[in-house]
Amino acid sequence: MGRVYLPATLETVFEILSREPSARLFAGGTDLLVRSSAVRRNEGSLVCLERVEGLSGISESDGAVRIGACTTHGELMAGGLITERFPILREAVRHIGAPAVRNMGTIGGNICTASPAGDSLPALYVLDAEVELHSAKGQRRMPLGRFISGPGLTALEPGEVLAAVWIDKDQGFNFHHFEKVGQRKAMAISVASMAFAAHLDGAGSVVRARCALGSVAPKVFTSQALDAFFAGKPLNEETLGAAAALVREGVSPISDVRASEEYRRTVAGNLLMRLEGARAAVR
Amino acid sequence: MRKKSALDGPRLDALSKVTGSERYSADYYPEKFLWAGAKRAMIPHARLLAVHTDAAEALPGVFRVLTFRDVAGSNRVGIVRNHQPVLVDAIVRYAGDPVALVLAESKEILSAALDLITVDHEPLPCIFDAEEALKDGAPRVHEDNDGGNLMRAVSLCKGDPDAAFGACDAVAEGVFETSRQEHAYLETEAGWARVDDRGVLTIVASTQSPYRDRREIASALGVGEEKVRVIAPYLGGAFGGKDGITVQCLLGAAALCSGGRPVKMWWDRRESFLAGVKRLPSRMYFRLGAKRDGTFHALSCRLYFDAGAYAGLAGEIMTMAVEHAGSAYRIPNVRIEGYCAYTNNPVGGPFRGFGVPQVTAGMEQAVDTVAEKLSMDPLELRRHNALRQGDRNCLDIELTHSTGFLECIGELLEHPLWKDRQAWKASAPKWKRRGCGIGCMSHAMGYPAAVPDQATARLKLKKDGTFRLYSGVSDMGQGNSSTYARIAAAILDQDAAAIELLQPDTNHDLPSGSSSASRTTYTFGNAVIEAAVVLKETILRCAARSSGYDDIDAVELLPGRVRVKESGRFIPLSDIAGLIDDADRSQKGYFRAPHDDSTLAVLYLGAHVIFSYGAHLARIEVDILTGKIDVVDYVAVTDAGKVMNRCVYDQQVQGSIAQGIGFALMEDYLVREGRQETGDLATYIVPTSVDLPDMISIAVETEEKTGPYGMKGLGEVVISGCLPAIANAFHDACGVRITRSPLTRERVLSALGEREDER
Repeated sequence: MGRVYLPATLETVFEILSREPSARLFAGGTDLLVRSSAVRRNEGSLVCLERVEGLSGISESDGAVRIGACTTHGELMAGGLITERFPILREAVRHIGAPAVRNMGTIGGNICTASPAGDSLPALYVLDAEVELHSAKGQRRMPLGRFISGPGLTALEPGEVLAAVWIDKDQGFNFHHFEKVGQRKAMAISVASMAFAAHLDGAGSVVRARCALGSVAPKVFTSQALDAFFAGKPLNEETLGAAAALVREGVSPISDVRASEEYRRTVAGNLLMRLEGARAAVR
Repeated sequence: MRKKSALDGPRLDALSKVTGSERYSADYYPEKFLWAGAKRAMIPHARLLAVHTDAAEALPGVFRVLTFRDVAGSNRVGIVRNHQPVLVDAIVRYAGDPVALVLAESKEILSAALDLITVDHEPLPCIFDAEEALKDGAPRVHEDNDGGNLMRAVSLCKGDPDAAFGACDAVAEGVFETSRQEHAYLETEAGWARVDDRGVLTIVASTQSPYRDRREIASALGVGEEKVRVIAPYLGGAFGGKDGITVQCLLGAAALCSGGRPVKMWWDRRESFLAGVKRLPSRMYFRLGAKRDGTFHALSCRLYFDAGAYAGLAGEIMTMAVEHAGSAYRIPNVRIEGYCAYTNNPVGGPFRGFGVPQVTAGMEQAVDTVAEKLSMDPLELRRHNALRQGDRNCLDIELTHSTGFLECIGELLEHPLWKDRQAWKASAPKWKRRGCGIGCMSHAMGYPAAVPDQATARLKLKKDGTFRLYSGVSDMGQGNSSTYARIAAAILDQDAAAIELLQPDTNHDLPSGSSSASRTTYTFGNAVIEAAVVLKETILRCAARSSGYDDIDAVELLPGRVRVKESGRFIPLSDIAGLIDDADRSQKGYFRAPHDDSTLAVLYLGAHVIFSYGAHLARIEVDILTGKIDVVDYVAVTDAGKVMNRCVYDQQVQGSIAQGIGFALMEDYLVREGRQETGDLATYIVPTSVDLPDMISIAVETEEKTGPYGMKGLGEVVISGCLPAIANAFHDACGVRITRSPLTRERVLSALGEREDER
């Protein structure tokens, strides 16, 4: 078994990574340690980011909110800024694991694991989140949708670290909904999930909507055609039935021990029906 | 009996459990110990040609690698059939079969060494379905078994069921399948062992059955029984899964080859899932007929149980299922056939309920179907047919003991959650369907007639004036130890803290059977009562005589002392202890449970005579978009006799409901081609606290006159009601029946889809 490093600065992280390129990064360890308990001893070193300066906490600038990659799900839920600005993110994070897991697991970990079932991801897609990446060479930003390219696959380059997530403060939504389907109510891996946010007019018709589904494709499923389809329509059974059909055509789920492809496809569409009769939240 | 209130109060083991000071079998790290671990075959059926251990043995830190050649005895274990190898010598029959045993200096080295062991094998054809296994030409799991793959068949017949169905106005038919449930106890199988200078092999293990284990260990390893000592500390859960050999023989084999060093074995979760026994999956064909007025007239059942690779107690579990298939109803014409088959699946074994949860699920759904056909209220139908004391059950045996089934049903009939169910159902929100279901059951207590259900307890007055109680029955978490101590304290008029309780140790020589069969408090509790009564009399007699009285009524026992009534003088118990012979300070009590040997002709091993009863109500909400079932309300009415301690009582009820809801909604240990697919707690789903409703526990306190303080068994009866109550509630909500459990979201959605297609 390799070593476990606990660096305090990003510079030290870069040093370790240049020396041991195969070393694996982690923060809460809620994915890594569970998954690899049997094979861990054969793998290289681990680098824990939990104590690295600048990777934790939520801060606010003029137009955006920066969430440090090592911010735990528990901290996200407790933060008033998230609750006020991005209630859909708080709602999604609330469905992760159970309190003990949420107090260890981090948003950066949820993103870098890049699981199709990552619970925070559909909400982050809907919010058009961007990731902030650091390496010895400098830093760069890119949309989350581009950062994750498939199950477990990200645009992280060797020696690069996810430092933070950025979300524009003003999303312009007045309605949101998140639902996760698992095999039980807590400590469940998502079988299908949906994040939906919209700007509804006074009559309940959609001005603008964004919809993202988890666990029904190699990465979070989004569709510009789907988002556009909602525009100008009320969220009634007819609209949602047609949208559900678009979703079922678009998704490409797998069958595994948790659920079959057919179930995931059916439910992915069904989840939209829950939006029926949605009204704008009163601020 | 006096001082019933003294039985109440918190569990005496609560503090040590919540503070973590209790030492379980896995908590021992003896000096200079070696880790022992088994290499599992990971193939479902094969002829073992060779085991290559050289590479593992060459690894630094590996002490030894053992194969079957190193096992001196029969190398076989088994309670009824002695045929399961400690280490495989010829045929691998399921993926969890152990082929080698490694002793190593550390856990890491052990793990690396296990990876280095390889086997040569010749694959054999496999069989994975119990019903298929019984057909001609099916691959055979045990070549030497006379009936092919049939391990055991049991049948019952009463009246003339064939003709009787013709006289029925309504007949319900159904085929029901239940899942392979995993116990998933917190504490995985663990223990440690050593051979001392005198050649005595001591095994400390997480086991429900130390005395029976001792015999099996001795014969499998070729050691005299007097040279084997088994100690059973508190268990961190067992539920039947540790009613027999798990780590014991492997530990013993390792300790006999460790050069006198202690050895420790602790299965991780994956090994526990792979090699531990499971609830037997079933396929059950039910046919129940009734007259127009609802009177049950005929029942016929064919039950198939998958035993997996070895017999264990599977045949006895199936027999218990046959005994309970007709539940607690008066039915004049009955035919029940049960078959237990060998397959190359994981080994089936005891699990809370012992075959009864399966058949109760089938029977209670058939009962609901009859109610529907007759347009009768399902609870009224049950009341109409419920067995009462003096009635004859499906085995034609008269119920002479306490029988509170009717009272249980009566409680539900009057319960507000039952009475206002229609209004509740009608107010279901959008995309939800609500239903209310009933599940009723009975459960026999103790062993069947052929197996003496007996116990011997020993209680000692120590020199310091406190007491020591020697338990003969393991405490797997159900709280029986605490109850034993409270019984002794109540009779001796002592504070419970004055009673020290020792967990089972075969050196105490108190063979009292296993911690199982809903018998632990009933059978051993009665033995404790006798021991305490005799010891009390011994103390009082000594105190009276030393004070100059012949009559023991001249003195009374108080906490820590005796009071001489006339003079008001107090004598400390430590003084009394000094006056009594060592032999007399320690008293034994013995009890054997009632049994009816005339039933030996009726059923394999004979029938039971004492039953507990229950009636459950589940209110569920079905989400028709996702198939999710929420159990919203749950009421469990139980007749387990008088309640001795409400806290321990309700813990048993709640634990059973939690496990029963898991069985009903999500627990399914999946095996594909003999290999585990849900090998850990990330894939094998058990309910969490938020998956469980508030549970209402109502006790119908009939008095079981043979029971300690009027109680009877409670550990198992409750679990059987959950699956049928929820399955019936689902039918009530959605008008369609799911006959294969668990009722997963996927099965719900697919059943709703099929219903739509029919319209």
